[in-house]
Amino acid sequence: MSYTATIDSGACAAHGDCEVIAPDVFAIEDIAVVVGTGPDELMLKAARACPSVAIAITDERGRRVYP
Amino acid sequence: MGDGIVIVGGGLAAQRCAQTLRRLGYEGRVRIVCAEPDAPYDRPPLSKAVLADADAEADLPYRPPHWYVEQGIELLLGVPAARLDGVRRTVALKDGRELAFEQLLIATGSRPRHLPVLARFANVHALRTVADARALRAALAQGGRVVVVGAGFIGQEVAAAAVRAGVHTTVVEAADAPLAALLGHAVGSWFTELHRGEGVEMVLGATVVAAHGAGSVERVTLSDGRTLRCDHIVVGVGVDPDVDWLGDGGLGPVGAGGQTRMAGVFAAGDVTGGGHWESAARQGAAAARAMLGLEPVKAAPDGFWSDLYDTRVQYVGHAPTADATTIDGDPSARDFRVTFTRGGRAVGVLLVGRPHELPNARALLAA
Repeated sequence: MSYTATIDSGACAAHGDCEVIAPDVFAIEDIAVVVGTGPDELMLKAARACPSVAIAITDERGRRVYP
Repeated sequence: MGDGIVIVGGGLAAQRCAQTLRRLGYEGRVRIVCAEPDAPYDRPPLSKAVLADADAEADLPYRPPHWYVEQGIELLLGVPAARLDGVRRTVALKDGRELAFEQLLIATGSRPRHLPVLARFANVHALRTVADARALRAALAQGGRVVVVGAGFIGQEVAAAAVRAGVHTTVVEAADAPLAALLGHAVGSWFTELHRGEGVEMVLGATVVAAHGAGSVERVTLSDGRTLRCDHIVVGVGVDPDVDWLGDGGLGPVGAGGQTRMAGVFAAGDVTGGGHWESAARQGAAAARAMLGLEPVKAAPDGFWSDLYDTRVQYVGHAPTADATTIDGDPSARDFRVTFTRGGRAVGVLLVGRPHELPNARALLAA
């Protein structure tokens, strides 16, 4: 539980894949928003599934993990 | 209660418009008129997961039925619109009902083009609705030979699903490579080899000129003189906006917020000639903002994506305006990037197997 997700609001088209994969972490409003946290691997899976690549994942030291 | 907002069409643009109206605090009446019997659902999986697996249909609806109830959004399902009366500000439905509106969204989407030569046969499929996908999935389960006419993204996705299902698959494309008009011959040819490598027969520079059989097509004759046997045919030769119900004038020009030439009447999604998921999503939301007098939101350039044989393909920009292309990576490993430039400036990017490069590609196009 050390990863942090951020959404690029200009890039997100609210596809909703992230919410399906990690509903505790992401919710779709006008666009996706981060509503919580979850296991690192699940957050990474959600970020990789995003067709718009609008989710960035960083680790506890602020280093970019994805994309 | 006033007449509120009527949304004609039951796809992504319609759902996004209704959802955005409520999120922005609109409390008036909202009605969605869907020609299909289902509430708005996601179409991209129809040519991918849903062809392989009936269970994938469970993930299609954008929202569960109770969401519409909670949001106070009325769904009129299974009834197409028949006529728009711009003077009386009403929409007549095929079942005789007439809906008055204060504001209207036209979001009737598009319809697949048909090939007249195949018109009278039973085993000819198009792919637009979940009903189409079910029929095609059942056909592929029978095995045999399938001929896919058209090598756009839909045709290619169907071919990939068919050959993976163990069906003998032939693609017939009029151009000399898939997507040649969009991406050029060299990049298009990569798609040719991708499918050949998976066992799909690719017939290029040819069209279907005749079909033979009683009731069902058994053989097609191509413009190059060759004959193909077939058990099923899938036609993916593009779509036309579904505007017939609007009458002679058609839709006319559409503004950035979906405004049409009629006050209080907006349009969004494929009916405007767009044709991609992200543009339909953003146009539906933009129309909702415009209906409420709000400024549009700035967004990244629209792109689209496909999944072919477990490889993600993404495209942003406008490659046809390019005068040069650069390929980085390893096309044979399904891991490369094509940068389309005009006068040295990037105008489009195609990514194969490199989804993580999309933000960089968008930044390059915005620079």
